[in-house]
Amino acid sequence: MKNPLNKRLPRELKSELPKYLIIFLFFVMTISAVSGFLISDNSLRTATEDAFSKFSIEHGNYEFTERSSDEDIKAIEQECGIRIYENFYKEELVQSLEDTTFRVFGERTEINLVDVWEGSLPSADDELGIDRLFAKNHDLGIGDTIRFADKEFRISGIVALTDYSCLYQNPSDMMFDNDKFGVGVLTKSGFDKVRDDHIHYSYSWLYNNEPADDAAAKTAAEELVAKLSAHGSIERFIPAFSNNAIQFALNDMKGDSMGIVIFLYVIIIILAFVFSITISNTITKEAGTIGTLRASGYTRGEMIRHYMILPMLTLTAGAVVGNLLGYTLLNDIFAAAYLNSYSLTTYETLFTPEAFVKTTLIPFVLMFFINLIMLVSKLKLSPLRFLRRDLKKRSRKKAFRLNTKIPIMIRFRLRVIFQNLPNYIMIFFGVLFAEFMIMFSLIFGPMLDTFQENTTDHLLAKCQYILKAPVPTGTEGAEAYTASSLRTIEDETGIVEEDVTIYGLDRGSSYIALSSEKGKVDISTAYHKKYGVDIGDKIKLKDQYSGKVYELEVGGYYEYPAIIAVFMDREELNGILGYEDGYFNAYFSDNTIEDIEEKYIATRITETELTKTSRQLMRSMGSMMIVFTLFGTVIYVLVIYLLAKIIVEKNTQSISMTKILGYNDGEINSLYIHSTTIVTVISLLVSLLICDRTLAVVMFQVFKSYSGWFEYVMTPGVAFKVLGLGLGTYLLVVFILSRKVKKIPLDEALKNVE
Amino acid sequence: MFIEISGLRKSFGQGESRVEVLRGIDAGIEKGEFTVLLGPSGSGKSTLLNIIGGIDSADDGYISIGGEKTRDMSEKALTLYRRKHLGYVFQMYNLIPNLNIKENIEVGAYLSDSPLDVDELLKALGLYEHRHKLPNQLSGGQQQRTAIGRAVIKNPDILLCDEPTGALDYKTSKEILAIISDLNRKYGSTVLMVTHNDAIKNMADRVIKLRDGVVRKNYLNETKLTAEELDW
Repeated sequence: MKNPLNKRLPRELKSELPKYLIIFLFFVMTISAVSGFLISDNSLRTATEDAFSKFSIEHGNYEFTERSSDEDIKAIEQECGIRIYENFYKEELVQSLEDTTFRVFGERTEINLVDVWEGSLPSADDELGIDRLFAKNHDLGIGDTIRFADKEFRISGIVALTDYSCLYQNPSDMMFDNDKFGVGVLTKSGFDKVRDDHIHYSYSWLYNNEPADDAAAKTAAEELVAKLSAHGSIERFIPAFSNNAIQFALNDMKGDSMGIVIFLYVIIIILAFVFSITISNTITKEAGTIGTLRASGYTRGEMIRHYMILPMLTLTAGAVVGNLLGYTLLNDIFAAAYLNSYSLTTYETLFTPEAFVKTTLIPFVLMFFINLIMLVSKLKLSPLRFLRRDLKKRSRKKAFRLNTKIPIMIRFRLRVIFQNLPNYIMIFFGVLFAEFMIMFSLIFGPMLDTFQENTTDHLLAKCQYILKAPVPTGTEGAEAYTASSLRTIEDETGIVEEDVTIYGLDRGSSYIALSSEKGKVDISTAYHKKYGVDIGDKIKLKDQYSGKVYELEVGGYYEYPAIIAVFMDREELNGILGYEDGYFNAYFSDNTIEDIEEKYIATRITETELTKTSRQLMRSMGSMMIVFTLFGTVIYVLVIYLLAKIIVEKNTQSISMTKILGYNDGEINSLYIHSTTIVTVISLLVSLLICDRTLAVVMFQVFKSYSGWFEYVMTPGVAFKVLGLGLGTYLLVVFILSRKVKKIPLDEALKNVE
Repeated sequence: MFIEISGLRKSFGQGESRVEVLRGIDAGIEKGEFTVLLGPSGSGKSTLLNIIGGIDSADDGYISIGGEKTRDMSEKALTLYRRKHLGYVFQMYNLIPNLNIKENIEVGAYLSDSPLDVDELLKALGLYEHRHKLPNQLSGGQQQRTAIGRAVIKNPDILLCDEPTGALDYKTSKEILAIISDLNRKYGSTVLMVTHNDAIKNMADRVIKLRDGVVRKNYLNETKLTAEELDW
């Protein structure tokens, strides 16, 4: 015979339908999102990982200032145990698009092969295979034309250059930029016909014996760069393991996957605790019945199973529907989110069991054990204790005292709070988690704005021209300086190596006033804050290619809040780097320099260049932040509503009694709902402080891998929005609960009398 | 008449399962009277008390308190009526479990503009030394005394008691009855007590006997016994 107790399950479900429905929908929403994300992430990640062998992605590349002869290449190959492939490119401003750079390569047949999304590879000199994302961002399709280097090219194919899964223009860039920077391929002869003004002699290499891991690859790269420097002047050297254009997308997908799974488990744990508090409340309510059933011979196991069924069924149903949605609909949406950020290769959707295990089995186990522990602990009392409704594990001799000078209504509220402490503790954690999500999403914009403002408000000059050779100019206001790039040294702080621009300036410069005395350097305030370097400290920077380490003493700060930079006397810098006195290789200028030929200009650093990090981050993450805000808000409502509802239900008889005594609805609300209000408001405020401090640490960790300094800013606007959103959603809960309190009948106090 | 009950009818359920609990009750109670509503189970006495208390409504007929008919009162006015004029004592005490004894009584005091002194009442009820305890730490009699304290602290015009001794032993029941009787005398409250204990009628000023939803007897006692003198 089936357990007759099961017959009450449909009735319980029906009577508590709104509660189960809300939790079910939330499970569906969360699990479908996570499942869809994991499917798309896994499919794209697998395709990206497979691309290394499928498309023969390089083990690294370097650039010489001059083209190497065939003999030289053979010599390097033999000496270094590598195979070298020419991978020259030409970089030109797109004439049909504003302020946009295009990097074009010749035909690729051996390395970094091109994957075609749509159309075909170019077959004529005026045909171009263009990066999918760049084309999408500029509404370019097959048959459209694009003009650069005074030539017009017709797009024959939408493609992915496999060494540019992320459109980083330079390996040292703070951020990729798929809006103002694009890549493409021409035929061999088409490439040769493009002018050579901005040709880059870039060579890719593959090791004959591929290093086993990143550590071995690092050692191999250090040996290689030392040997290469004997064969030419190195402009750039970047092994694949540290090339963001190759690695960033892959690392990001790995990191995202871990983050979103943790997010799911936190939500499951919160909901499991909500369920366990609900069940605990039901057990207290049904103590007499449980006592009778246990006294009649029902086992503890049967009772545990009975109370476990509905929560587990709700989760199972949510997981089934969630996974179905995730596997069928949402994976495409999440894949699109990645494809909108990265120039990935074509892929196949892989329906692996990973998503099912992570979104169904593990949550099931979490939910099962949290509820089991609660139920075992709650139901281990003797049947007699249940019959006597004596469920307290420790009987208190006396209630703790509250000062009788405190008005009774306040004492009453305090008693309600203490009585429902487990609920309120969960409300606190729910609020904390939701507020963290909301604040994280809301703070993102102001942080990027601050970065942008810090950058644009403290421009060293309207434009910085980095030259290939010291060429004079007659431009008014142009000021020569020496620019160099060294790297920080990775240390125990965990901050990854990053490029530091060294500015060698004339004392009395009209652009930057050095405050440090001779023999010392100024560091940017960004450097000071990110690395905690103070005046008097010594910093160590290394030359990436020679490995030579320079030690500089800090003598002052220069207000440059977003960029990691060092400012020092020009002659001193020239001396350190071995340049002649009077050497320079760059200009600051507020006016456009027009009297220097293009071929002598290596780079122009403008406001657009410096702010591309914040623009790209906003483009990539902006929509995700809205999802975070929405999820956080739903968690607010869900947790506060479900737990506050339990408090009202638990006190139904007392509420009914106070009604009989003559308390009006306002007074009853002030006792039973305002207690929750007090806890919620305190939780919101305390969480605000905790989230603020936590986010300062989290954001430092999030942004430490980006070059430059993203200052953590908690604006009053964000604080008000977070609190406003919390209070606004709570008002909705108050409205629903007030109606519930109002509906409690007066004769409720007369029921269940034993 | 301070409380006038006229043509009161009340039924529960619908169709075949409809049960008429009150079938036209007419009665009157003077101010300050100690009235006992007596009758067997299902006679309608608790329903009548609940309608007088404004926590249930009649299908027909009315109840007038001091000339004011409760059926004409809005929900808000009924709340105000209970707040200003009524005290309620139930068989199962219905104390608020998370408030201590003193606080439970203060919950009643809060509703009155001129409540009695809480500590004095606690002493009078023999609860002073237990004032910091929670209800579940007290015996049934002590809890019922607390419920009485909560009802009378606001010095109500009418004290409604629904089987106040129903869950208590003989000795404790007599103690509770004595307390209610003393309060009736001391503060002049009109007391309406529902009971199925026939012996209690002997301490009442007025006895109303109900059976099957109608008043079978309504009379004034010529001689009254004290609670201590009762026996059953």
